[in-house]
Amino acid sequence: MVSRIERILSGVERIGALVASIAAAADVQGRALCREDIGPIRLLAAELLRDHPGFIAGAGAVLAPGVLADAPQWLEWWWAETPATVQRLRVDLDPASADYSDYTTTEWYRTPERSGRWSIIGPYVDYICTRQYTFTLSAPVRCAGRFIGVAGADILAARVERLALPALHAQDTDAVLVSAAGRVIASTAAAVTPGMIAPPGRVIADLGTLPWQVRELASPSGS
Amino acid sequence: MAPAAVTTARARALFAPLDAGSRAETVAQRLAQAITLGLLLDGERLPAESELADQFGVSPVTLRGALATLRAMGLVQTRRGRGGGTFVCVRDEPRPAQLEGMLTLLSAHELRDIGDNRAAIAGAAARLAAERALPADISALAEHAARLGCAGSVTERRRADARLHMEIAATAQSPRLVRAEMELWSEIGDLVWLPTVSAGDVAAIEAEHAELLAAIARQRAELARALAERHVLAETERLLALRLRLARPC
Repeated sequence: MVSRIERILSGVERIGALVASIAAAADVQGRALCREDIGPIRLLAAELLRDHPGFIAGAGAVLAPGVLADAPQWLEWWWAETPATVQRLRVDLDPASADYSDYTTTEWYRTPERSGRWSIIGPYVDYICTRQYTFTLSAPVRCAGRFIGVAGADILAARVERLALPALHAQDTDAVLVSAAGRVIASTAAAVTPGMIAPPGRVIADLGTLPWQVRELASPSGS
Repeated sequence: MAPAAVTTARARALFAPLDAGSRAETVAQRLAQAITLGLLLDGERLPAESELADQFGVSPVTLRGALATLRAMGLVQTRRGRGGGTFVCVRDEPRPAQLEGMLTLLSAHELRDIGDNRAAIAGAAARLAAERALPADISALAEHAARLGCAGSVTERRRADARLHMEIAATAQSPRLVRAEMELWSEIGDLVWLPTVSAGDVAAIEAEHAELLAAIARQRAELARALAERHVLAETERLLALRLRLARPC
C-alpha cells in the first residue's frame, strides 16, 4: 500500500514538475503564463489514471491566484471512469457565482502551500466530484522559489483499505490504520470501521513516508 | 478534494457513471438534480448531445428522451441554428406562485411522508456527524452555517441550507446519506423556504441550525439526532400549514 501511494505521489510530483517547468519557460521568455500553457499536464494525468485504474478518481493541478494572466484561478484536473474516458473537470471559478468553488480554502491546497511539503488529506466524502469516499494527495508547485500552485490526485478510500488489511492482519493483536487527523482508514475489528474516529491505542508502527499510524486496538473487554 | 470549502466541480457530479440499467429518467433526474442544486447555472449550455450521451454512457436516443423530460419540466431550452444548443434555464428566484402551485399539488400525506423521510436521514446524519466529526469538520460546518446567515435571497438561502445538510451528511462520513440528502433536497428543496417569510422566521431557523451544530461539536450524538429531527419536522409542519391556508377558499 505504501509503495502504491508513493508511486502515485511520484506521478503527482511529475505533474508538479511539468507545471513548474512550463512556468519557468514562460518566465525566461518574458511571456505571461496562460491557461492553455498548462494543458500538456493532461498527458501526465492520463498516464497516472491509466497506471492506477480504479485506484485514482482524478489527477491534475491547480494554480495559485494571480499566477495565470488570463484567469484569476485555474484548475486543470482530469478524471476518468475507465482509462479510455479521461475528461477535464469543469468547475465554477467565478467569485460572483453562487457555486464559486474556491479551492484556495481547501485543506488539500492550504496544507502544501503552508508547509511547502506534500500532504494526504482524508478519508472524506467528496460529494461534489466523485461522490465517493476518498483521499486527496497533493504537492506544492514552486517556480523561482515562489509557490505557484498544487499538483494532486484523488485516491479511493476503499482501495486503500483493501491494500492495508494484510499488514494489519499480520499483527499479533487487532490493529487499526489511522490518518494523521485521527480517522480510521482500515481495521481488523468489525466494530471499528473506516470513517470512525480511531479509539486511543498503543502505536505499533509509523508508516514512514505517510503520516499514518498502525495502532493496537484494545479488545472490547479491555483485557 | 475537500468538501469543506465547497471546492470542486459541478460537472463531475453530473458525469459520474450511472448504475447499470439506468435509462432516460436517470439521466434526466441526474441533470435535474444538478440544476436544482445549482451545480449547473442558468444560461449554461450543455455539451453536444453526442458528447453528453458518451459521458453518461447512454445512447443518443436515450439522451434525447432525457432532454425532452427536462424541457417539459422547463429546466432546459433547446435553441436551433447558429449559437444553438441546449441551455439550462432556471429563474434565479422561482416565483412564489409557481412554488405555491407545486405545494398544493402534493397531498398532505405525501408532504408528511417526505418530511418523515427527511427527518430520518437528517437525524441519522446528525448523530453520526456528532460521533465522527474532527475539529476541521466542525469549522467547515460553521462556515456553511455562516454562509446561510449571509444569504440575501430565497434561492441563496435554499442552496446554502442544502449545502449545510449535505455537509453534515459528509461529516457523518457517509456517501449514501449525502446522496439521500441530495435527492430529497432536489425533490422538495425549493419548497422548504417558501413558508418562511419574516426575518423572525429566518432567525428562528438559524438558531435551530446553531443549536444543532453545537450538539455536533460537543459530540452529543443523541441530542444532535433529536434536534435535526425536530428541525425537519418543524419545517414540514410549516409547509403543511401553508398548504392548508392555500387550499382554504377565500
